[in-house]
Amino acid sequence: MPYSTIATPEAKPVANYKMATRMEGGRLLYISGQVAWDAGGNIVGKGDVGAQARQVFENLRGVLQAAGGDMQSLMKITTYITRIEHFPAVAEARGAVFQGELPASTLIVVKSLFHPDFLIEVEGVAAV
Amino acid sequence: MDRREILADRPVEKGRGFMPGVSVNPGRILFTAGLTGRDAAGNLVAGGMAPQAHRTFERLQAILGRAGARFDDVVKQLVYVTDIDAYNAVGRAERAKFFAGTRSASTGLVVRRLADPAMLIEVELVVDLAGSPQSQLLEKFNAESHPGDFHQGVIVNGGRLLYLAGQVANNPDGSVAGVGDWRRQAEKVYENIGHVLRAAGGTPAGVVKETTWVLDIDAWRKDGAPVRRGFYNGDYPASTLVEIPGLARPEFLVEIEVIAAIA
Repeated sequence: MPYSTIATPEAKPVANYKMATRMEGGRLLYISGQVAWDAGGNIVGKGDVGAQARQVFENLRGVLQAAGGDMQSLMKITTYITRIEHFPAVAEARGAVFQGELPASTLIVVKSLFHPDFLIEVEGVAAV
Repeated sequence: MDRREILADRPVEKGRGFMPGVSVNPGRILFTAGLTGRDAAGNLVAGGMAPQAHRTFERLQAILGRAGARFDDVVKQLVYVTDIDAYNAVGRAERAKFFAGTRSASTGLVVRRLADPAMLIEVELVVDLAGSPQSQLLEKFNAESHPGDFHQGVIVNGGRLLYLAGQVANNPDGSVAGVGDWRRQAEKVYENIGHVLRAAGGTPAGVVKETTWVLDIDAWRKDGAPVRRGFYNGDYPASTLVEIPGLARPEFLVEIEVIAAIA
């Protein structure tokens, strides 16, 4: 990986993610906030945050692969959700797509996303 | 400078003014603060979303110009709005006037409040700069004078970028420090940021960009901002302050994301 993982016993993550990642080489990839659109622009999983989360991570993977990377190339993700009650379903979907530890990670509950049907949006920064 | 637009032709983004991803060689990168529709005197421009959006992009243009860049060089934009209907009605068109045909990676969020309760839009950019990295690791600058504790732009010259997870007021044993106490949470968050920076070979002066997510901007200004000023000691990053309705745990009052550069 063109990045290294930073850990310290003095400050630990509150869940299974990296505390920080330091880019060591490669290209810097910024990925747009991904929402539960399929390739045709149709919303997948209306009202079902778990289904939306799975589609979002598939979309994220698609961008990474097109840029020459994969999920393990992600240094940082930010997950935006509209209701904290949705977090368990999101965490389950996230856990299924990352092998082991998540990248450096932030979770934010926003007022809404840019379309009222979107329940989750995830953006990422990767070294590819 | 070697920009690659990723999946630029994916049908779902076509016509929407952005693209799924942009990659660059991280030789020289500019991070802007979140900019808003304030006039030269620091007052929010009158007239709502359209004038605010116009002014926001006009100010970003000045910052880009100062760094020798244009909207064509933007890698990523993050648009925060408090009124999505107004943004869709008139804000989007203002953005398009500046970006023209350029499409960058983009995230759009509807948040509860920005620095001023009447503020409707705030935008921050990551920009790929031409030219060879300067010898100085960071160039922090303002395109206009302002009284805030931040720089409007910070250029990273060839250093290694460090991305921290969003930092919260947790102790190493997983418990939350300062439940209900803004000042204690601010102290703990910056303590954690300091630990992670040190572990990576960095310092507070090497912080490039900071995003502060809070449940209450007024409480943060009163009890959190003094802690922040102590941490940076006058050497501020580009920054954004946003009020949102929730964080990962109900006890968390603030979460701060930091990007730093390591020589």
